[in-house]
Amino acid sequence: MINPTVVELSRLQFALTALYHFLFVPLTLGLSVLLAAMETVYVITGKPLYKEMTQFWGRLFGINFAIGVATGLTMEFEFGTNWSMYSHFVGDVFGTPLAIEGLMAFFMESTFVGLMFFGWERLSKPAHLAVTYLVALGSNLSALWILIANGFMQDPVGARFDPNTMRMEFTNFGALVFNDDAQAKFVHTTIAGFVTAAMFVMGVSAFYLLRRQHRGFAARSFRIAALFGLISSLAVVTLGDALGRLDYLLQRPKLAAIEGLWHTTTPPYAPEKIFAIPDDETQRDIVSIGVPYVLTPLVTHSWTTSIPGIDALERAAKPKIVKGIAAVTALEAYAKTKSPAALAAFRKYENDMGYGLLAERFAPEEDLNKIAKRDLPSIVNRTARATIPNVFVEFWSFRLMVALGFAFIVVFAFAAYWSLKNELEKHPWVLKVAMWSIPLPVLVCEYGWIVAEAGRQPWSVYGWLPTFTSASTHSVGYMVFSLLGFVTLYSAFIAAELYLMFKYARLGPGYRGTAAEAVAPPPAHGQPGYADRPWE
Amino acid sequence: MEIYAALKVIWALLLGFLLTGLAVMVGMDMGVGTLLRFVGSNDAERRAALNMIGPHWDGNQVWFILGGGAIFAAFPTLYATSFSTFYIVMIVLLFSMILRPVAFEYRSKIEATRWRETWDWAFLISGAVPMIIYGAAVGNVLQGVGFHFSWDGQYYQDESFIWYLLNPFALLCGVLSLSLSVFEGGAMLMMRGEEPLYGRARGFAIGGGSLAALLFVIGGIWVQFIKGFAYFGPVDPAAPATPLGGPAVVMREGAWMDNFHAHPILWLVPAIGLFGMIAGPLALAARRPILGWWLGALAWIGTIGTVGGAMFPFLMPSTTKSSQSLSVWNASGSAYNLAWMLAFALVFTPVIVAYTSWAFHLMRGKVRPQPTPGDEHLY
Amino acid sequence: MRNFIKIVALALVLALALCLAVIAGDYGPWYFAWLVGTAMIVLVAAAGAVLYEAQEGARGTTREE
Repeated sequence: MINPTVVELSRLQFALTALYHFLFVPLTLGLSVLLAAMETVYVITGKPLYKEMTQFWGRLFGINFAIGVATGLTMEFEFGTNWSMYSHFVGDVFGTPLAIEGLMAFFMESTFVGLMFFGWERLSKPAHLAVTYLVALGSNLSALWILIANGFMQDPVGARFDPNTMRMEFTNFGALVFNDDAQAKFVHTTIAGFVTAAMFVMGVSAFYLLRRQHRGFAARSFRIAALFGLISSLAVVTLGDALGRLDYLLQRPKLAAIEGLWHTTTPPYAPEKIFAIPDDETQRDIVSIGVPYVLTPLVTHSWTTSIPGIDALERAAKPKIVKGIAAVTALEAYAKTKSPAALAAFRKYENDMGYGLLAERFAPEEDLNKIAKRDLPSIVNRTARATIPNVFVEFWSFRLMVALGFAFIVVFAFAAYWSLKNELEKHPWVLKVAMWSIPLPVLVCEYGWIVAEAGRQPWSVYGWLPTFTSASTHSVGYMVFSLLGFVTLYSAFIAAELYLMFKYARLGPGYRGTAAEAVAPPPAHGQPGYADRPWE
Repeated sequence: MEIYAALKVIWALLLGFLLTGLAVMVGMDMGVGTLLRFVGSNDAERRAALNMIGPHWDGNQVWFILGGGAIFAAFPTLYATSFSTFYIVMIVLLFSMILRPVAFEYRSKIEATRWRETWDWAFLISGAVPMIIYGAAVGNVLQGVGFHFSWDGQYYQDESFIWYLLNPFALLCGVLSLSLSVFEGGAMLMMRGEEPLYGRARGFAIGGGSLAALLFVIGGIWVQFIKGFAYFGPVDPAAPATPLGGPAVVMREGAWMDNFHAHPILWLVPAIGLFGMIAGPLALAARRPILGWWLGALAWIGTIGTVGGAMFPFLMPSTTKSSQSLSVWNASGSAYNLAWMLAFALVFTPVIVAYTSWAFHLMRGKVRPQPTPGDEHLY
Repeated sequence: MRNFIKIVALALVLALALCLAVIAGDYGPWYFAWLVGTAMIVLVAAAGAVLYEAQEGARGTTREE
């Protein structure tokens, strides 16, 4: 018997720790590349200001990186500690990209990040630049393998269920790596990280420009970040469209939830809802405002194709659920008797077995064998309803993500324009918007995560393994213990992180840190702790 | 199908290699963390100690992450079951381990004494606790764990968690692993440190290595009286990997010695470990920290090799349903998966070893409590 | 000899890059787009800074005149 409270607490813990981890990851991804760009300018021009620039933003990178590494440890182990059935069921194919990530990417990133910070005096200029590029490459390759793993959860290709080992077995490496979902998501996620980092550097530079501090330094950082962000924010939208199309092709319930489609659309009139309050309970909108003739071409890239609504999707799921129940009962019989007849019965419906597992939570004592014939229709109906993710969450996470994503393009466009004309200080509103926008891309990344992962529900592996079936069989006490611990530790971490980020951003470039306090000769003039900077 | 059996054995060996890498590299950093408060009497000395491993701790930690990833991919059922049955222990391990990266980065960024004192305690916790847990977990696995599987492969736990932590044999293994890590950490501090850090580290490391040797011998004798596990009847190593419906397993005292009796050459492995634990402290006493460090690595190889040699092919035996004990044969990934992973490991492991060595070579030399200008990003 | 080794090394890197591009281009169009796109983003951002220096230089010269 699976305890539903334990499953809910496990989901809560995973969502909290993953969302928390993902507060820091995008900045690491993007800032590593941005640092490489800055150091490239240093090596090309030879101007010490760009070295200082790389080191200053590198310091902030370090503060962020440490907490990203720490919270990443949690993610690597949580599959095993909280999702044992999941790990057993797909470990053969899901664990592989995670292991390769360590082997190929994380080792590289972590080893060279040490040299990046410590090696300025021991490496030649080009060698240090190469190290910085390897850190950037390593962190982005990490993202690649993680998203290949995630792509498998979204669209399980390259593996086949084996009734003898009761798990999905890896069958095609190429299919796993070149999974369309993994590809589009990798580009979308990393470039979203580029946007996050660009906004961060631009916003902090804007802060200096507004306060007329470190102007030469800040104007140059602003320029690099604005251009970096402008192209990235354009690219991220393109990829967003590609992902939406994949959801239309492969995960229709997710798309229907995102667009709030309770009913199948009538092309080409179907309106794109701009504002709505979807009510999951009654499956209708309390309020809805839309723009007609937009939805169909946007999603289907045609004028005549209709998009199935939630009512149609539930109807389509019902026969799969009936077949799935037959498949799972046959599988259980095969597991216990090894009879060829049971195996044959399983093989007949094996592709729908996930829907059978999904029905387990509604069966008496979670046992499909105990479903009475007269109860079957009601259980099938409840299971069909459960195949639809939460519409309200999907609808609004998606809209906030998209609206802010487009807003970023506008911000970066103005910022880049005035920066290229060197007239930023005449337009303080651009600087103010840039400064106040620093946290927004982080928020948008979180929305993106919610759209992708909450939209995958009720599955942990789409169509094959329900989230409900995936969890470890813990007691509630275990979960309370770990949840309390995570909340305490993570709250302390975020407080320390924000404090240090603000402190070091305020101190600005040129501050040698407490590191050199013991050795730095007392400055003859100017503020203590600051080196002389001729370009100010 | 012979190839499948060979792949399983290769991955068991690679797992041993990874666990050894983890123990040597992460153990060294954790030893430094454990010793931090004791070898450094003031802030400058402690900062010097941290900066000796400063450029490397992050890379070293990946051994831990890679270990987790490799178990996940190569032995998915082991990953799923062990991490869940040891839940509370694993969570405590995780909490202590995630303190460490943050401690490194944040400790010296604020000058307040209380702030730094707090993080120094965090270093002690995040150094000592994980090493004790690693050892204790191995100690518990040697005694068997209470779990069984339902027909669909879901595990069920049969015993409460307190038992796992609190038994004398597991604690002995925990202290053994802590003392080896103190030895390696101390050797590292000697390599890159100067007096008075050097002398203090030397004292602790010699103590740690000697204690490890003593505990290793006691543990070796103790194992004779522990109920080990052995397959009863023939086993097909190339069978599809599932713990369900496996051959019978018997529990009896001294079963962990079967492999040593069958293959006397295996005695070389504990001999190598013991040699490392005895010769290591002697090398440090003779002020040869580099030699001592390598002997410490040898001690780890011997220790982990001994456990692996005793248990093979078992990975995590079950006391409550012994036929469902997890072994190299029934908990591994599919042949296709193991083959691909092997290809990646063959390409990337040498590359990793090469650039890690280069990084250590590049950052060699003494770290002084009074840093010279230009030393960037000191912790 | 040194130059020869350099040329061989460069040729190898080029061959590797070509292989990567062909594989990525054939099977992973998005991966290919990422490789090209990221390189472009980095170069444009760096070029922005170089342009800044040129603008500074120009302003400095006008002031002197």
